[in-house]
Amino acid sequence: MNKERRDFIRKTGLGVLAGICASSGLIQAFALEETVLPAWDEKPVPGKIRWGMLIDTRKCRQDCKECVAMCHHVHNVPDFGNRKDEVKWIWKSSYEHVFPTSTQQFRTKEVLERPYLALCNHCAESPCTRACPTEATFKRWDGIVSMDYHRCIGCRFCMAACPYGSRSFNWRDPREGIKEASVDYPTRMTGVVEKCNFCSDRLVKGLMPACVESCPEKALTFGDLNDPRSDIRALLESNNTMQRKPELGTKPSVFYII
Amino acid sequence: MRIKKMLLLIAVPVLMLFAVVAFFRQPGHAETAKAPPAPVAVDSTKCIAPAEYMRANHMQVLYAWRNSSVREGNRVYIAKNGSRFQKSLNTCLGCHSTNRLFCFNCHMYANVKPKCWNCHLSPMETP
Repeated sequence: MNKERRDFIRKTGLGVLAGICASSGLIQAFALEETVLPAWDEKPVPGKIRWGMLIDTRKCRQDCKECVAMCHHVHNVPDFGNRKDEVKWIWKSSYEHVFPTSTQQFRTKEVLERPYLALCNHCAESPCTRACPTEATFKRWDGIVSMDYHRCIGCRFCMAACPYGSRSFNWRDPREGIKEASVDYPTRMTGVVEKCNFCSDRLVKGLMPACVESCPEKALTFGDLNDPRSDIRALLESNNTMQRKPELGTKPSVFYII
Repeated sequence: MRIKKMLLLIAVPVLMLFAVVAFFRQPGHAETAKAPPAPVAVDSTKCIAPAEYMRANHMQVLYAWRNSSVREGNRVYIAKNGSRFQKSLNTCLGCHSTNRLFCFNCHMYANVKPKCWNCHLSPMETP
């Protein structure tokens, strides 16, 4: 039999099947709906959006800590003043700590001495969500690696799995370490792991993440990596960027312009 | 050859029939899907369910809200009478925290110690 004709007959059969499924409601219509950020009225479509961030390290000032302060205030992140009990969602670090495996030689002194922002990378292939035995940390429909603090049992497997040190454990009651509490977001409790949530609490209100909004130099860009017309994609195309430890294959959603 | 022709003769009309069915089904679907996303109106004048029901079932309601909003992103609750609410503890406490002992009265009487207030602000702490 002619191969093309055989294919045609096969495809016709498939078409009939699809038609039956569609008219009987087996294939749901949600795959065609539009997801609007500020008012998620319907159940969101998984995989349609992938939130990402681009950090322009050329603009980041040495003495400025606005993003850290605002993030930690908005999300009630405690500060106990010692490294042992430290809880952090976003922090500043040095080049060799943020890009320890970068093999680029002969960086200029200025590049090596710049501050680099570090936060959860919201990896597309997140190792922490695979390590979590209770699915307390999970990959959201919009690419955010989220924490369900209700479910966390404090085993800290995710902390061991995260190659970026983005997760902190609450050794003490966090409420003791909060000076000015924010009423917009709950605190955590002792024995729970926490980390940056890409401001999923602010995204539902139609707001930009706290760090992006607070940056006086506008060094942070936030947007949908799956949308080819977004600002972040335009910047990614026009600049040479870096991810943290790309060789691990975690596919981070946070990019850096060096 | 004859079998192939027969197949085609059957398949094409069936396909057309489904196309027609799908076409006529479409407008209803399109209307619901294309409706502009109304901002989530928080109706603070009424409760999400009658008091008797909530007294017996608030834990199940909160549990279901927590799971569907945190994990699935399904943040809007549509009550039986059609009014819409944000799936949030603050939806309840927005009104009920005027009574500072709202949760505690019953819980103390029944000696129930839920863990909500380890993290969330209780009616006693809300400003």
